[in-house]
Amino acid sequence: MTGSRGAEISIRGLEKSFGLLKAVDNVSIDIPSGEFLALLGPSGSGKSTVLMMLAGFEVPTGGAVLIDGTDCTRLPPQKRNIGMVFQHYSLFPHMTVADNVAFPLKMRGMGRAERRRRAGEALEVVRLGGYGDRMPSQLSGGQRQRVALARAIVYEPRLLLMDEPLSALDKNLREEMQLEIKRLHSELGITVVFVTHDQGEALTMADRIAILRGGRIQQMSPARELYERPANLFAAGFIGEMNMIPAAWDGSAMMLCQSDRVTPPPGAFVTTPANGRATLAIRPERVQVGAAEAPGSVGATLAEVVYAGAGTLVIARLDDGTELRARVPSAGLPRLSPGERIGLTLPPDALLVYAEESAA
Amino acid sequence: MTRPGFFQPNGRQLSSAGILLLMAPFFMLIGFAFLYPLLSLLSLSVTEPEPGLSNYVRILDNPLYFKVLLRTLWIAVLVSVLALLMAFPVAMAMVSSSGPMAVFITAFVLLPFWSSVLVRTAAWAVLLQRNGIVNDLLQVVGITSEPIRLLYTQGAVVVAMTHVLLPFMVLPIYGALRNIPSDYDRAAAICGAGPLRRFAEVTVPLALPGVLGGVILVFLTALGYFITPALLGSPKEMMIATLISQQLREFLDWPFAAALVGVLTLFVTAITLVFSKVFRFDRMLGGQL
Repeated sequence: MTGSRGAEISIRGLEKSFGLLKAVDNVSIDIPSGEFLALLGPSGSGKSTVLMMLAGFEVPTGGAVLIDGTDCTRLPPQKRNIGMVFQHYSLFPHMTVADNVAFPLKMRGMGRAERRRRAGEALEVVRLGGYGDRMPSQLSGGQRQRVALARAIVYEPRLLLMDEPLSALDKNLREEMQLEIKRLHSELGITVVFVTHDQGEALTMADRIAILRGGRIQQMSPARELYERPANLFAAGFIGEMNMIPAAWDGSAMMLCQSDRVTPPPGAFVTTPANGRATLAIRPERVQVGAAEAPGSVGATLAEVVYAGAGTLVIARLDDGTELRARVPSAGLPRLSPGERIGLTLPPDALLVYAEESAA
Repeated sequence: MTRPGFFQPNGRQLSSAGILLLMAPFFMLIGFAFLYPLLSLLSLSVTEPEPGLSNYVRILDNPLYFKVLLRTLWIAVLVSVLALLMAFPVAMAMVSSSGPMAVFITAFVLLPFWSSVLVRTAAWAVLLQRNGIVNDLLQVVGITSEPIRLLYTQGAVVVAMTHVLLPFMVLPIYGALRNIPSDYDRAAAICGAGPLRRFAEVTVPLALPGVLGGVILVFLTALGYFITPALLGSPKEMMIATLISQQLREFLDWPFAAALVGVLTLFVTAITLVFSKVFRFDRMLGGQL
C-alpha cells in the first residue's frame, strides 16, 4: 500500500443542538496531517457527536468542518472519502469478508479482479490474509474489528475515524488491537480521529488528546502534558488519580488546614487565584511519606495502608479531614499502622495550583 | 455467535415433552378443525361416486378447470407483486419515523384489521359501481366519457385483494427492516455508497427474509381467497375458491369439489416446499443472517 499523506482537518466553532440541548458547543480543533487525535470524555460529553459531524452523519447547527482546506460541513458522508470503524464493527452480514472489504472499491467503480486483489492486500495488512471467503459471523470479535479496519483503509483514505472501536473487545484483545492500530497509523501516515471514554487508551495511542465535557473542549494537549499539567480541575480529576486539597491563598503561600504553609513555585500556577479559596493538586505518586514533624512536611493521620506488590497505597487524612493519597514504592517503606501520625512531603515541582474550588 | 431462539430466551432448551405440552392445544385444534375435515373431504374425492380417480380425471379432461387454476395462480402472483411494491415503502416509512407519525402510519397499516373482510370488500363494490366515486372521478378528469365497467372484473379483484392482504406484507418487512442496525447504513455511506446503492446493496438483502415471509403469506392466502373474488369478480373469470364453492353449494357435487380442494392443496404444498427449499425457511424465521 502506498504511503498516502494524511488529511489536514480544521474544525471551526462547531456546534450541534438537539432542541434545547447543546451537544457540541463551539468546538475548534486543528488537526495537522498524520496526527492521531483522541477525543476523550464521559458519555454525553459530545465526543461522538463531533465525530458524527466529521463523518457527515450529522449536520452541524453552526461552525464548519474543513478537510484539506475544502469546506465539507454539508457534504454527505459518501462524498467525503473517509474511512471509519464503528463500535460494533458493522460488517455487512450478508457478504463475505472479502466482499465487505471490497465494498468501498465496488462503490468507486473498480473492476472485480482488481477489487479482489486490493481487498486481499488490505486483509494482509490487518493480518487476516486467507480469511476472505469466510462470513463475518464465523469470525471472533477481534477478527471482525480487524476486517472493519481493512474495509476502512482499503481505498487509502486520508482520514480514518474510529468510534470507540475497541470497547466491545475484552482486555487482552483490546491491548493487542491498540498496538495494531498504532502500527497501521505509523505505516500509512493517515490522520486518525479516535473517540474513546477510556483514558488509558487515549494516553497510550494518541499524539494529542482533546478532553470534552458538556460539549466543550476542556483541554487539548499531548498525553504527557495532559497528565502532568491538567488545564482545569475536571481534566485533573478525569485523567488518572489526583489529590485535590482545598487551600487558602494569601498572595504568597497556600494555607492547608490552619497551620501548614506551602509555597508553590511560580510554575505551579495553572490558573492564578485571587486571595481566598483555591485548590492545590498533586498526583499520588509524587507525594512522599515520612516521619511526623519532618521539616517541610504536612502533618496527617494515617487512615489505611494498601499493599499491592511493587507499590503501596497510603491513605491519610489532613487535620481538617481532607483525604490525601500517596502511591509509594513498597521497598523501604517503614511499618505503618492506621491512626499513626505521619508527615507528607509535597515536592514543589509536583504542585499544581488552581483558582477553582474543588467540588469534593 | 448464536442467538437464543424464540422459545429459549435464556438459551435454555425445552425438553421435547415440554415442547409437545406447549403445542398440545394448537395441535388439537388443527387436528380437529382442519386435518380431520380436510382428510375426510379428500377421501370423498377418491371414493365417490365410485372408488378411483374419476373426479381428478374430470378436472384434467376439461381445459376450463385448468384455466381457472392458471388464472388463480396469476392473480395470486399479481397481488403478491403489487402488495410488495406498496408494502416496502410503507415499511421503510414506519421504520424511519418516530413519535406521533409512527403511531399514525402503524394505525393506518393496521386499520384494515379493525373491520371485517366483508365490509372492506363491500366498500370496494360501492367505490367501483357504475355510479360510484371512481367512475365519477374518471369522467371529471376526462379519462372516460361515460361510466365503464369496473365492478365484477379481474381488475377489481386484484385491487381489492391487494388492499385486504397488504398488512400481511407490510408487517414481516417492517420486522425485518427494524432489525437492521442503523450502523449498516452509515457504514455503507462512509464506504462511498449513495442512498440508492445503500438501498440495493444493504437494505434490500437484509430485508429479504421479511420480504419472503410476506410474499409467502400473501401468495398462499391469495391462492385460496374466496370472499373478494366472489363479491367483486366476474362469474366468467372464476378463481378456484369460487369454483369450489359453486360446486358445493349450487351443484352439491361434494366429491368433485373435494377433488378441486385436493388439487389446490397439492399446489399450495408444492409451492411451500419449493419456497422453503430455495429460500431456507429455517434461516428466515428467527434464524440469523
